[in-house]
Amino acid sequence: MSGRGQVRFEDIVKMHGEFAALKGVTFDIEPGEFFALLGPSGSGKSTTLRILAGLDAPSAGRVFIDGQDITAADARDRDIAMVFQSYALYPHMTVYENIAFPLEMAKMPKAEIVPAVQEAARKVAIEHLLQRKPGQLSGGQQQRCALARAIVRKARLFLLDEPLSNLDAKLRLETRTELKKLQRSLGVTAVYVTHDQEEAMTLADRMAVFMAGEIQQIGRPADVFARPNSIDVAAFIGSPPMNLIPARYRGGYVEIAGHRLETSLKEAGERDVVVGIRPGAVRIVTDGIPAVVDLVEDLGDTAILDLDCSGISIRARVSDGNVPREGAALSITARAADIHVFDATTRRRL
Amino acid sequence: MQDHAAAISHSGDLGRVLARRERRFAAALLAPAFVALLATTTFPLLFLIGTSTFRMDLAMPFADGFVGLENYRTLLADDRFWSSLLISLVYTASTVVLQVALGLALALLVMDMKRGQGWFRVIAILPVVLSPAVVGMIWRTFMLAPEFGIVDYLAINAGLGSKNWLGDPTLAMVSVIIIHTWQWTPFAFMVLLASLASLPEDIYEAARLDRASAWQRFRRITLPLLRPAIVMVVIMRTMVALTAFAAIFTVTGGGPGTATEILNLYAYRKSFTELSIGYGSALAVALLVVTILISGVLFALRRAK
Repeated sequence: MSGRGQVRFEDIVKMHGEFAALKGVTFDIEPGEFFALLGPSGSGKSTTLRILAGLDAPSAGRVFIDGQDITAADARDRDIAMVFQSYALYPHMTVYENIAFPLEMAKMPKAEIVPAVQEAARKVAIEHLLQRKPGQLSGGQQQRCALARAIVRKARLFLLDEPLSNLDAKLRLETRTELKKLQRSLGVTAVYVTHDQEEAMTLADRMAVFMAGEIQQIGRPADVFARPNSIDVAAFIGSPPMNLIPARYRGGYVEIAGHRLETSLKEAGERDVVVGIRPGAVRIVTDGIPAVVDLVEDLGDTAILDLDCSGISIRARVSDGNVPREGAALSITARAADIHVFDATTRRRL
Repeated sequence: MQDHAAAISHSGDLGRVLARRERRFAAALLAPAFVALLATTTFPLLFLIGTSTFRMDLAMPFADGFVGLENYRTLLADDRFWSSLLISLVYTASTVVLQVALGLALALLVMDMKRGQGWFRVIAILPVVLSPAVVGMIWRTFMLAPEFGIVDYLAINAGLGSKNWLGDPTLAMVSVIIIHTWQWTPFAFMVLLASLASLPEDIYEAARLDRASAWQRFRRITLPLLRPAIVMVVIMRTMVALTAFAAIFTVTGGGPGTATEILNLYAYRKSFTELSIGYGSALAVALLVVTILISGVLFALRRAK
């Protein structure tokens, strides 16, 4: 399986009239990798997937699969399977016929289709539903049927367009882990579009963060989380989102609410910056920035505190051992390693 | 406890009273339409069936009287009845098949049009709003008249020579079929276009990724999904084609000879040209039976899947 499903996007531009949906996107996906395209609605991630699938043509740039330029190739000739957000099951066909359809189109002999369909259905645990029509299935079952239709063909590339967004929260979590196991066991390259950063973080080997038609950052989820390279990425990744506080940087320190915090940035001079501190990195100490607890959101094992630090609002995540009461006064700080410093004008990481 | 039971029985009474009032109001609303329908459809129909059991000949009124099923016995032995029934069936089958095929082709074509779809719809619907009698007149004079008609002019220019479109038995039949198809294809087109437009785009994208060719997408996805709409169009157009009258009456009057004499026209000619009203009624009842049988079969087919 190795060496199959390698993708290269080269300066892809997609214009819709005057509007640029993609502004020169370049990235590589390695064979067998689970690659997530993450970004808010309208950031261009679905457009990227559609261009890769061959459903839309790019305005400029080139797409390669396994070293072969397929920019002008029809979707039919790309050997790509896809799971649609809406599942796009054929409503007049049974589950069996839906899964068998790509094999029939590939002119596979009937005798081979039956076991192949059963194998695919077994992998996603819907072998008891083969005679039903999509209209008689629940959302989760339809989703599995769409998955089975995609994996039955053993295509070189497996595209998933927000496949979990129509499932309820519990089912989404279950399916997420199954999806990961399935991809691992098939060893196939998967490209996964999502706006849910948690999904991307848990599923992907690597991810590309899209914003306004551009890739802001590509990397392993843990790396992107640990070192977001812009304010936008920092604000998008993590839940609750990172605290972003305008501050003044002076030779290795930042000043927040009259208090100096040490940073890992060792740069001489003085400038306006935006300081990013993840809620989980905020520490309650005896001597630090004074804060008043505005609101406590108890999540059971942890609690989110909304703090007011003389006009600046900061969110902190604390474990349930020592949750302060609303209205309580305390003081907070953060380790130098946990303080992200961004340029206030370019919005890039310093 | 007793109060409670009383309250329940009281509320039950109230519910019955309200339901009765509602029924009465509904009946009052329904009555005018129901009476009008009875007067204009059911009564004439029963009268027609009654008349068909009489000999009622305006040319020989002295021979009139109840004959029971005599008219029907005559009808079964009447070659002209069988030939007009055959013409009706040929006319219906060919016009319906043509309407659905052309309507579907047009709908598929227009679906892919990026611009001008609205205009095309407006222009396409025009023939439907014309009266069939007017359509017949237009075709007889402007389109099919030898030498001067547009169709004949085109035939001459195409090297086929001038044809007697309405004088030749075969050409006359072809002509009335074309006229009916011309007028009513837009109906099939509009219904199928609406149905096509409601099909989700993403399943076609899925089919492309599943490597289905354009023809396979049409055969395996579009056609099955359009099936309910197609069956509906076939049923509606079949019922109308079986009872077509005005266009043929104005174009050929059933001629030349009886070449385009559909069953409806034969019943009309028998009743109002030959003034044999009893036998004409029997022919009309026969047409009614044929129409009911065919629509019954079509509806059964519709339910079959």
